[in-house]
Amino acid sequence: MMSGSDPSKEEFWRWQEYHRIVPDIKWSSKDVITAGVDVGSVGSKAAVMVNGKAYSWGITRTGANSPESANKALDYALKDTGLKVSDLKFIVGTGYGRVNVPMANKAITEIACHAKGANYIWGPSVRTVLDVGGQDIKAIKIDETGRVVSFLMNDKCAAGTGRGMEVFADLLQIPIEDIGEISLTVEKEPEPVSCTCVAFAKTEAMGLLRKGWSKEKVLAAYTRAMAVRMANLINRVGLERELVVTGGQSKNRGIVSRIETILGVKCLPMPNWREDGLDPMVAGALGAALIGKALYEKAQKT
Amino acid sequence: MKNKSVENKYLPEVPRKEIDELKNTVKTASQKIIADNIARMKKADSHRPEAMKYFDDIADLFGQRQEEIQAEKEKGKKVIGYLCLFAPTELIMAADAIPVRVNSGWYDTSKLGDRIVPVEVCPVIRSTIGAKMIELSPFLEKSDALISVLTCDGMTKLSEILGDAKTIWGMNIPRIKDSTQSLRFWSDEIKHMKDQIEKFTGNKITRKSLKEAIEVSHRATKAFRRLQELRKGPPVIMGRDAMLVNQAYVWDDKVRWTEKTEALCDELDKRVANKDWVCPPDTPRVMVTGTPMFWPDNWKLPTLVEEASPKGIIVADEQCSGERILNDPIGVDEWSMDDMLKAISERYLMASTCPCFTSEDGNEDRINWLLNKVKEWNIQGVIYYVVRGCMLYAMEYTRVKKALDKINVPVYYLDTEYTREDVGQMKTRVEAFLEMLTARVDF
Repeated sequence: MMSGSDPSKEEFWRWQEYHRIVPDIKWSSKDVITAGVDVGSVGSKAAVMVNGKAYSWGITRTGANSPESANKALDYALKDTGLKVSDLKFIVGTGYGRVNVPMANKAITEIACHAKGANYIWGPSVRTVLDVGGQDIKAIKIDETGRVVSFLMNDKCAAGTGRGMEVFADLLQIPIEDIGEISLTVEKEPEPVSCTCVAFAKTEAMGLLRKGWSKEKVLAAYTRAMAVRMANLINRVGLERELVVTGGQSKNRGIVSRIETILGVKCLPMPNWREDGLDPMVAGALGAALIGKALYEKAQKT
Repeated sequence: MKNKSVENKYLPEVPRKEIDELKNTVKTASQKIIADNIARMKKADSHRPEAMKYFDDIADLFGQRQEEIQAEKEKGKKVIGYLCLFAPTELIMAADAIPVRVNSGWYDTSKLGDRIVPVEVCPVIRSTIGAKMIELSPFLEKSDALISVLTCDGMTKLSEILGDAKTIWGMNIPRIKDSTQSLRFWSDEIKHMKDQIEKFTGNKITRKSLKEAIEVSHRATKAFRRLQELRKGPPVIMGRDAMLVNQAYVWDDKVRWTEKTEALCDELDKRVANKDWVCPPDTPRVMVTGTPMFWPDNWKLPTLVEEASPKGIIVADEQCSGERILNDPIGVDEWSMDDMLKAISERYLMASTCPCFTSEDGNEDRINWLLNKVKEWNIQGVIYYVVRGCMLYAMEYTRVKKALDKINVPVYYLDTEYTREDVGQMKTRVEAFLEMLTARVDF
């Protein structure tokens, strides 16, 4: 089911773009077909839902131009489905570039969308969502219907975010998709690096490499520092079970397992997104499509 | 004026040419920002009250009002600037001088302040220093003397720094509010300030002139309270409009401000009668509390709230740049000089909800203000606004949040800087908060 470009050997930061169609779902023009387009600072995601059920999605890298990235992601999600943009009853734009999603009927923040999406992926027991995006992290408390109760967002910097991980993948020359597992291969967890600021952490990491630390150990120290930062944010918003992680970094086992250790709780298990499961990186787009359905139905009633 | 032969303790000697160039650049940018703010406020309300026209004009810090003050100065009146709401403006007015608040809301000048103090310092302070360095603020420049009340750390050192350029009178504020010795101490400060103002202006503050000044304040408070009452029901005025009216008091002529505010309220009364709402009555009702927000640049948050999607409306605040200016009248029993001074002392000390205070029960007065507002003004969400470096407000958040959690009112801590760079991220935060308040109905 996977398709997309092969990661180039030289570009260690490059993660795989792909699209997916869920089998066994048929649609007709009578169905409420909605889409969510989540233009993040690093990745653009689009998801299509048929009557509130995930049908297809696509993940691409965000380019310099938000509207183009939005179009690209949605086209990718619609690929091979037979659907056209005009078949979509309601489109919600979300993410950092939400106001620049040209075909959207409405813009909703990624905070509300990730909340709704996490509720869809894992069910009503989710109370705390950690969304680790390309350029920011958000800790969101939600109720059993997936509505936001409170939230916190990190400062405007890439520390402890997906973009920071990309920089490290490049520095250590480890493919981004292996970075989590490799960070877990150290025998003894090292002390976290003292500074999560990408620029400073890079300098610190180079110093550690010169001191003779292995790549794995440096990576573990950086990942640990990011996990501490994320755990702090979760504690500040108030941890309540169940906890889940969404966004690109949900795929980073090194991050997720360290957060679990620090907080002393297990996250709900990651769906098997490589095969037939939903992808938590698309949580925002899925939530957006669901909110789109609710808004469409509300508009039909009035 | 200060004797310039004495060496400056803080302020650098900036070459005249550089001062003029920077002043012109920042002033031009600021005039554009003022015009843009007003244009956006007009756009937010398609049939904005006629009476707002006056406040739009008075909002031009480089316009009519500073010309009027200049003209008064030329006739021999003294201008006394102040940096904190604790400055007893009635004493200034009673000595036939003009009170004007001089805190800076200019983003660009905060970067100039960085030359004198570290960036960790509150931007309100850095910006005020920067404004002085390039002589940007007409009100600060025209002030013959400044009253600085030593509330927070920033204000305390700002007083010293501005002392390089201006005659400055510091006032010690006691940190424990509800004790008899504090009140005694503060009453002495007030009496001393009276003597200082009299000596400086050469005008005796008489029983009659002080009574008149207090009555001017009373009438202003009445008009002010009428305006805030009108914000209790379905919205008849945008929050930004009301906030501008409230803040303009600190630089406007007090009597004229009162007339114009009453006229605005007359107009709003008619709107209430016609159920002529400024936005749908189910628009989320927001209160802002925290660090003061000074016109014109630091209008970022109210603009974001009222232009967000979904839109919110600010119906109340608890800020010393807003409702705290005029909320509390001076409670005079007998109009003797002693009693009036006592009433002034009490009003400025006891009524304040500034986080520079603590007391046996902490800053309980602030909590009570917030809870009362939430209840009476039907607030659905509170934005706790803090600029980085504003330590006292930042620290008091935990307590405020606990109190609001107890009554189930969401509060969001929004921290920012004197910059426009974070508007995108702030927008996400504000919109997510407003979505949270509306989600119950929409999705």
